[in-house]
Amino acid sequence: MNTQTGNKWLLALVAAGACLAATLSVAAGQVPPAADKPSQQKSAVSTATEGEKVFMTNCARCHTPPMTLNPRVTGTVVMHMRVRARLSRKDEQLLLKYLAP
Amino acid sequence: MNTLVIPRRMRRAFPALLRLLIGLCPTLLCGIAGTPQCHAQADTPEESSAGYAPVISGAFAYIQNSNGGVQSLEPQINPVLLVPMGRSLLLDAHVDFTGFFARENSTSGPYKGQVFKTIEDAQLDWLADSHMIVVGGRYILPFGVYHERMTPVWISDLQDSPLTSGIGTNPDGFGDGGMLRGVAASLNSANIQYSAYYSAHYSVNQLAAARLVGGDTSIFIPSDRLEMGLSYQRSLEGYQLNNEAAYLSWQPHQVGLDFKAEYDRNHYGDGYWIQAAYSPQQFFFAPEFFRHLQLVGRGEQFFVRNGGGDGLPRVNEERPEVGLNYLIHDDWKLISSYGRLYSKNGDINMWNFGFTYRFVWPLWPGRKS
Repeated sequence: MNTQTGNKWLLALVAAGACLAATLSVAAGQVPPAADKPSQQKSAVSTATEGEKVFMTNCARCHTPPMTLNPRVTGTVVMHMRVRARLSRKDEQLLLKYLAP
Repeated sequence: MNTLVIPRRMRRAFPALLRLLIGLCPTLLCGIAGTPQCHAQADTPEESSAGYAPVISGAFAYIQNSNGGVQSLEPQINPVLLVPMGRSLLLDAHVDFTGFFARENSTSGPYKGQVFKTIEDAQLDWLADSHMIVVGGRYILPFGVYHERMTPVWISDLQDSPLTSGIGTNPDGFGDGGMLRGVAASLNSANIQYSAYYSAHYSVNQLAAARLVGGDTSIFIPSDRLEMGLSYQRSLEGYQLNNEAAYLSWQPHQVGLDFKAEYDRNHYGDGYWIQAAYSPQQFFFAPEFFRHLQLVGRGEQFFVRNGGGDGLPRVNEERPEVGLNYLIHDDWKLISSYGRLYSKNGDINMWNFGFTYRFVWPLWPGRKS
């Protein structure tokens, strides 16, 4: 095995990752806080929309949206998807609100 | 004075563990940088009406293929059992039953064969924290974009595995041990996801695994639906080889295009594949029909290093492949594909026809909202 080439490749990855980390750290400070919702209704609509967004940006990367999903199993399926798609707890909650409001 | 004596086996593992930790440093840094935002976002007290009944899901499939004129029939059942224990523990087991029936004399005679059954994974998932999931048991090795996400028969757009699929999946594509995975930073601008795992050597039939360590990290930019990731794996037995992968996934807005690409390499070879799947979203004629149609194209090349082998081709190969799929319903999919393998051992045509059906059923009645 060409260990030197492997090490160079790895160093390049680490350097790229470090640059990425620095960029994101700066970007994190620039992200504006989410706007406060004036009413519960708007908040519910927003949650559903965010849930759809979570689905479209995460789950739809691998498969098509399910047309029907038995509400009795939605929680279990979303738990499984959280593990497979490495989602955060917040994304899991948004997905639940979207798939089983 | 006492001296710390490190076993020889551990000493061998240290460089690999160190590399893994260094590789994951950016992820951890990003996680720390994004912590305040992440914690603020994690509070979602609203309850949904979702039920948590045990589930049997998975897919049925029937595929008829022809490789260089040799025809075979492959019926498959891939059930996945999901049993939640509370809201933080999930038992996840996946078994695969695949039949392989070929003609007795390759191209003529009756079909003969057998059904192979394998335990794909059997793991316990602990959803420990908003950003961390602890996995124990037998799990799918998170290496590259194809192996972990695109292998289920109902997800695959093309049924033939890429030529590089033997990289990072030795011996069966599963690890026996533990894994940490999750999202290190979940920002409005980007998500950074990670997996880090250790697998022990296990030679028991159906549960075979190699002793190895590895990790995978990817950054996903939601606004562009663009994901870029890196995987690294080091075997801690035998020749202690490295496996590396870089991948990209992109689903542009407003266009029914799914673009994926991966580059893999190890001691025995390296190669890449590029795949695009397109579903016309607003076709001028019969838009509803064409929306369910999927055109797929994939190009790939594999280059031998050090003689190849170890689950990889022993000669350079390349394969263009096209497919046409139709989603009858979200559960049923008709599949077809044609590819031509160019190799020093001879060029062959590869055909696949069949269907897949995915299912999600409650094992027994659960809580209703």
